[in-house]
Amino acid sequence: MSAEQLERMKRTKRDQLILVLVLIVGLSVWSAFGTSFSLPALWGGFGDGARFLFVDLMPPDISGLPDLIGPALDTIYMSFVAMFIGSIIAGALSIFAAATTSPHPVLQVALRAFSAMFRNIPVIIWTILLVASFGLGNLVGTLSLLIVSIGMLVRCFAESLEEIDMGQVEALRAAGASYWQVIGQAVLPQFLPSFIGWSLYNLEINVRASTIVGMVGGGGLGFAIQSGIKLFQYKDVSMAVILVLVIVLATEMLTNRIRRRII
Amino acid sequence: MALLQVEGLKKVYADGTVGLSGIDFEVKAGEFIAVIGPSGAGKSTLLRCLNQMVEPTGGSIVFQGAQTIGSGRRKLRNIRREMSMIFQGFNLFERVSVLTNVLHGRLGYMSSWRGALGLFLKDDVAEARRLLERVGLREQMHKRADELSGGQQQRVGIARALAQKPKLILADEPIASLDPAASETVMSSLHRFCSEDGIACLCNLHQVDMAKKYASRIIGIHKGQKVFDGTPDELTDEMIRLIYNQKPAEAQELAETDMARKETA
Repeated sequence: MSAEQLERMKRTKRDQLILVLVLIVGLSVWSAFGTSFSLPALWGGFGDGARFLFVDLMPPDISGLPDLIGPALDTIYMSFVAMFIGSIIAGALSIFAAATTSPHPVLQVALRAFSAMFRNIPVIIWTILLVASFGLGNLVGTLSLLIVSIGMLVRCFAESLEEIDMGQVEALRAAGASYWQVIGQAVLPQFLPSFIGWSLYNLEINVRASTIVGMVGGGGLGFAIQSGIKLFQYKDVSMAVILVLVIVLATEMLTNRIRRRII
Repeated sequence: MALLQVEGLKKVYADGTVGLSGIDFEVKAGEFIAVIGPSGAGKSTLLRCLNQMVEPTGGSIVFQGAQTIGSGRRKLRNIRREMSMIFQGFNLFERVSVLTNVLHGRLGYMSSWRGALGLFLKDDVAEARRLLERVGLREQMHKRADELSGGQQQRVGIARALAQKPKLILADEPIASLDPAASETVMSSLHRFCSEDGIACLCNLHQVDMAKKYASRIIGIHKGQKVFDGTPDELTDEMIRLIYNQKPAEAQELAETDMARKETA
């Protein structure tokens, strides 16, 4: 009886596995047809791609560098301002969005939903929406980065806040401490390291995202790249791309170093 | 008049687990009462219902002549600051100085913003220094709390409790995570300071010998009910067996302790 049951369970498991494998293969074939993906086409495009990369883009035009310094600085400013203001706003909001510190569960759910909307609409969509109302420029880039930063940071901060040592909170509440005393003395000191850590990570993300934001009208290096492509100034474009790389790598190195100091 | 009068105190947790099923007792000023009982009998729940870290579901608690159940935020702060709590896990701020840990006992007396910013008054700082001297930790004053041994940390916990100038101390298994020598030091200092300052103490204990040694009265709890209330002499071996050996439904009772801890968080 039980041997028979075991045998049947084994067979069901095997059937499920086969079904899943068939589904995965089926979906892949279907989407390959849907996108008319084929290996020969990939091979055919390879030559064009290589020519574009090594002939059109190379060598980068170093004489264009002085003109790119302004946009490069704009990119850095935008990322930094979005991170700075974003982490302050998100820091305040996250206290109300974390289960451990929120004064009311309804407030908590509302804030979580709000921040989910902010971060789940891609930054490029925010920029396109904002360009329509504010026009092109750095302001729009900063605003869209800020919105997405707040969305991401509220979630990360709230999760860090939910991991703090509640023994300290309990001790202060039992001693008759008020809500703000508990926040100021027990919650914030424990929260500070992860606050700084997540903010720095957000700066890295902003620097990368600011290029995309720039390409749809948000200013900075992305805008320079987009204009260069439109004008077939490929040598200038590759110079700008190199600058983006340099800024991204420098930010990463810098934030890593600060993080190591703090944690 | 009794310092604390508890009548029909009940706690049923949200999932239906019964923590306390109607407990009555009185505490007179300056009494040192040990609360004993098996794990999960409701000792933790009882203490946490008294300062309403866990919301009681029924009964009455009269502290210094005033009903405490249903108090607003401000009144609850005033009640809690006169009812210090000492914890099994010390609940100290590990990365902060010992002195600051003691000063946290003053938060209930400070304005909200002053306390939030940690702007402690000069008098409070002087008092905290005196208290640390009293518990024998003058040299450790500026160390981080996690640099101290377990016994020393619990003495910081006692100093923090005394800083509240309480009428009553609720000690939730203060020696359960300490070795025998440190347990002895902590219990004797807790007992000494309470009697010197005329503070009443309700102390949850696992160790019957400790309860008999220090308490002026012992309350025995089993499955959320009071099954014994008397002097240490009246606590016979037979009574102890009754309190501890009534075949506890362990799984359920462990869950109850967990609930009490969780709800206070």
